[in-house]
Amino acid sequence: MTVEDRYEQIWIKPVIRIGVITMLLAVVLSFGPLAYLYIVHGILPDWPTALAAWGLVAATFGAFYIVEPVSYYPILGLAGTYISFLSGNISNLRLPCAAMAQDVVGVPEGTRKGEIIGTMGICGSVVVNLLGATLAAFIGSWLIGILPEIVAEAFKIYTAPAIFGAVFGQFSLKEPKLAPFALGIPLILLYLNVAVWIVILAAVFGTVAIGRVFYMKNIIS
Amino acid sequence: MEAVLKVANEFGVWVCAGALVSVALIQVILYYRQLFKAAEVVEVSRDDLKLAFRTGAVTAIGPVIAIFIIMVGLMSVIGGPMAWMRLAVIGAAPTELTAATLGAEAAGVEFGGEGYNLQVMAVSWWTMAINGAGWLLFVGLFCHKLEDLREKAGGGNPVWLGILSVSAMLGVFGFLNSRYIIKMGGPLLAVIFGAIAMIVLVKISRKVPAIKEYTLGIAMLIGMFAATILS
Repeated sequence: MTVEDRYEQIWIKPVIRIGVITMLLAVVLSFGPLAYLYIVHGILPDWPTALAAWGLVAATFGAFYIVEPVSYYPILGLAGTYISFLSGNISNLRLPCAAMAQDVVGVPEGTRKGEIIGTMGICGSVVVNLLGATLAAFIGSWLIGILPEIVAEAFKIYTAPAIFGAVFGQFSLKEPKLAPFALGIPLILLYLNVAVWIVILAAVFGTVAIGRVFYMKNIIS
Repeated sequence: MEAVLKVANEFGVWVCAGALVSVALIQVILYYRQLFKAAEVVEVSRDDLKLAFRTGAVTAIGPVIAIFIIMVGLMSVIGGPMAWMRLAVIGAAPTELTAATLGAEAAGVEFGGEGYNLQVMAVSWWTMAINGAGWLLFVGLFCHKLEDLREKAGGGNPVWLGILSVSAMLGVFGFLNSRYIIKMGGPLLAVIFGAIAMIVLVKISRKVPAIKEYTLGIAMLIGMFAATILS
């Protein structure tokens, strides 16, 4: 068997199988609490209201169901995408952890080694996340009680922008010529009040397109 | 609302939530094992795998503290089990709250306000589940197609594939940062100091490799610290 075939057999096929089963299982289990409400308390939303609610969220978030997986895929890879979209918190947790794992071990992005290492980094983040969330569920209120207000607020409000800035800084070092475009495109579009899902697509594929042009013209390598 | 939250916190709901959280845990365990097998094929060492896991875990500590704090807040609004289920798995707090609120709106009631009874809570729960299902279904059914797409876009050229990945990452985070930059104030400071701190730390870590694992975590803390003090 060639390396290609072995990679297909040992990685790609099992990853897809595990991924499809767990994602679909998760869809079903998401409705568990609703089923509980019906079985134990006899409560069920009526169809018109349920459909109206569905319409509202689909209109609000529908584009993201597609745009986010497509945009994050190049970095997350195959298994990384299955894991990240099940466990959530992708931009503030999975992406940074995948990127850091790749940098610390020293493998290039977009390669097979990169994918394996990045995915392992994501696994690390999931374990810590599940531990933290479970801790919060059971002793969260008590722990928060003993934390100084200013610290809790700082974590709540500033973690996301700080980590987004840090990851942007990390990747700016890799391709400094592309960084201004990656920031400029969304800034301008947001200022012009363009719809958010379009801004994501423009920022990601715009930067990739400029990257392509620069690469072809040997401005970057 | 009190009565509604009582039901939301019942043992049966914890069990339902636990079932979904278990799937996430099982998925990670299965992938973890597969990674060790795949590593042999692409010649990645076991030590590197362990380092990758540890780096991911350490880097996760900061953001997970934030998720912890947000989750405790969410628990008082949608109950413990649902907050646990939606934040350990699938969701981000703003998305879940928006879904729950839209559900209440569809039922003609303000979320958590007057008339928010069990019937309306059921609609909120339905809305959160069906919203989350959107991402789960798309990824479950089409993720393997995205792999085909990436291979086509890469064209078998590893240098270009690397540039593509970095460009995509820059684009994603350029977008994420731009939302905070436009807001100005504290979040803007967090972005700026986080970015500068990271750049400095990465340069230091090239001479002092021991701190590499911690650079992102430290940069994040510096960004938060600066924003808190200066705003």
